[in-house]
Amino acid sequence: MERIDTYPTQKYKGFNLRPGRPIPFGATIIPGGINFSIFSSHATGCELVLFKKREPRPFATIPFPDAFRIGNVFTMIVFDLDYENIEYGYHMDGPFDLQQGHRFDKHKVLMDPYAKVIGGRDVWGEEPDWDDIYQHRARIVFDDFDWQGDKPLEVPMEDLIIYEMHVRGFTCHRSSGVKHPGTFAGIREKIPYLKKLGVNCIEIMPVHEFDEFENSRPSPVSGEKLMNYWGYSNVGFFAPKAGYAATGRFGMQVDELKATIKDLHRNGIEVILDVVFNHTAEGNEDGPYISYRGVDNKTYYILTPDGYFYNFSGCGNTLNCNNPIVRGMILDCLRYWASAYHIDGFRFDLASILGRDQNGAPMNSPPLIESLAFDPILGKCKLIAEAWDAGGLYQVGSFPGWGRWAEWNGKYRDDIRKFLKGEVGLLGAMGQRIQGSPDLYRWHESGACTSVNFITCHDGFTLKDLVSYNGKHNEANGEDNRDGNNDNDSWNCGWEGETEDVEINRLRRKQMKNAISILLVSRGVPMLLSGDEMGNTQFGNNNAYCQDNEISWLDWDNQKKNKEIFNFVKGMIAFRKSHSVLRNKTYFQDRDPEDCGYPEISWHGIKAWDADWSDSSRTIAFMFCGKKAKQGKSNDDFIYTAINMDWNMHSFELPAIPEQLKWYVVVNTDVEPPEDIWCAGEEKAIENQFEVLVGPRSVMVLIGKKLK
Amino acid sequence: MELKVDKQNNVTVIEIAGDLDGASAETAQNEISKHIISDCSLVFNMEKCTFISSAGLRVLLMSAKHIKRENGKGALSGLSSDIKDVMEMTGFDHIFNNYDSLSKAIDAIKKEK
Repeated sequence: MERIDTYPTQKYKGFNLRPGRPIPFGATIIPGGINFSIFSSHATGCELVLFKKREPRPFATIPFPDAFRIGNVFTMIVFDLDYENIEYGYHMDGPFDLQQGHRFDKHKVLMDPYAKVIGGRDVWGEEPDWDDIYQHRARIVFDDFDWQGDKPLEVPMEDLIIYEMHVRGFTCHRSSGVKHPGTFAGIREKIPYLKKLGVNCIEIMPVHEFDEFENSRPSPVSGEKLMNYWGYSNVGFFAPKAGYAATGRFGMQVDELKATIKDLHRNGIEVILDVVFNHTAEGNEDGPYISYRGVDNKTYYILTPDGYFYNFSGCGNTLNCNNPIVRGMILDCLRYWASAYHIDGFRFDLASILGRDQNGAPMNSPPLIESLAFDPILGKCKLIAEAWDAGGLYQVGSFPGWGRWAEWNGKYRDDIRKFLKGEVGLLGAMGQRIQGSPDLYRWHESGACTSVNFITCHDGFTLKDLVSYNGKHNEANGEDNRDGNNDNDSWNCGWEGETEDVEINRLRRKQMKNAISILLVSRGVPMLLSGDEMGNTQFGNNNAYCQDNEISWLDWDNQKKNKEIFNFVKGMIAFRKSHSVLRNKTYFQDRDPEDCGYPEISWHGIKAWDADWSDSSRTIAFMFCGKKAKQGKSNDDFIYTAINMDWNMHSFELPAIPEQLKWYVVVNTDVEPPEDIWCAGEEKAIENQFEVLVGPRSVMVLIGKKLK
Repeated sequence: MELKVDKQNNVTVIEIAGDLDGASAETAQNEISKHIISDCSLVFNMEKCTFISSAGLRVLLMSAKHIKRENGKGALSGLSSDIKDVMEMTGFDHIFNNYDSLSKAIDAIKKEK
């Protein structure tokens, strides 16, 4: 039966209209027309501005009659619009009073904060018309899709192996061999590769619409244009980046991204989005009017008492996340991505900002973070915090998570890096990090799964660069090498940068393997940086946010050149997946309900059962008891790992294991392939079951299993 | 967009010429629906189709679902490589089999059980 409210009630300059429905916000296709709805707590008037697609001037401006306003929501149905060929924006009238935090300008065309598709940057890097009065254009989309039974995978957190990647950088290089480089479709073409590698989750750097031309400038080194390549600067929160879709020029980015997600799911790979709710692309007082500052500045941003923008994000402004209206928008946004796109989880950039109140002060129980933790639609989504911000809050281990939030464990990265390069005084910290950082997360319900372990991520050196450079080399960014982190805890192994020296290169390969081994035998959730599995370099640049070129793009030729590293990473991933004892999520408990005589984790050193915890120690070994896999519900092999970060070889006495079991070598980073890693069932038996020689700066992993 | 309907060898052939987009989607959908009857056999001849937008792809998808409901059979013929590519990238390539030529599409649909 047809609804009785789907007929026009009035006309305006040839347009058929009627009062709209305030919920949902945004532009929604309904039978016969489009329902427009936008809120502003402080606007005094609003006009809908309609453009034909890509036309410089609007073809209609329709004021919202006062009768169409409900509370602070302007809402209207316009009938008979060709939804595919129009773009819409708003004029908002109201006070311009900086003291009061208002910046209304009724002449600016403003994008809908709830726009589901945004035009204006349809093809990556295609220079826009800078005189255009409406740079980022809201469009209308059907949000249906033929999912064919797909749903988010809900892979248990403890089983995840995350692969952090950049949509464009992943396949943009000519060596990628894909049909549509640098796009969602390109990722889809590389699914067989991801499966071969063995990861079961990709975490993609921001895919919400952003402006790659924001702050673009020529490079002082190459002269080529520096771009906003990483995209940590949202134009719109609900729309996928058009320039990341091969079909963006046709406005089909929504379907292309959904088809990619569907295919990833079909292949057992989850998708986590890196979301940026800490600021917008509108920048500071001198920034452009895109949407929020013109729609309702005082609501959307945290302002100083005299009306300036607080800058806790380091990017000019700070989204007012704990204003109830903005909180609602963030919740709407994540629910939309989870339900309409089947997204499996979110990683929140500078998440500590989400816990600041409307004056910028950190809160004990931030309502936004709590709402997300308990939201029914997000109930099975992974929520991962980057638990710090640019305003000085550092909450690794203290981020309020309600048992639902995991954290990027920055301390894991720092401690492992230091230990890898041979620093001393880290044994205690290493013990914590390997167990999933109980010192940080013991009181969290999700235990070790709270800790997302990583040694490298997009922000900083790649793994190859971590072992090839002592210092950052960011000259190409045009800031005299001032930008980027100075505390890299990196070691170049004896020469700064690329070298032909055989011994140095051998040591570098070994250090990469050491890092990967430790990461994949640690409790918690491992995260790899895309490209590290093939020794990708950024030539020492540790902050490649603006480098849309070969500095950032993954060079697929490395897969052949560094086959040794690729095979090793692939082997370690397979090893982790086949041993559930590595993935226990509860922390060590001093109990033995299985009555097997072994603790769940035991610590060793040069001598069995006697780890050297002293300040000068560079060796540590540990053993996971196979009978305690999956909290004692499963039976696995015993796994013993010896880490020797000393520059001398050491003999490690092996702990005795039950008689029917024997020690086999899985990993020895000190030897050349193919003996550096052995695949399941082919592990190398060792003659001497009482001790192993662990080479200088090397890792050995053994399993104790029944004799073949 | 222009729609021509023809009967060949007991198969209904619907030729879609020009752009199938938001402006023409509703008309196309209504017209196509008329030919989806119980146990029908339909081939969409796309040789002269120059562009399919998101709304156009939804017309094909809705038609496919309608045909299935009526226990009928459907196929596409003569898609340009560009359109085929777009359908693949946007996940609409599974809805019908596509054949190089109309005669191949008709043969295939007749053999289909």
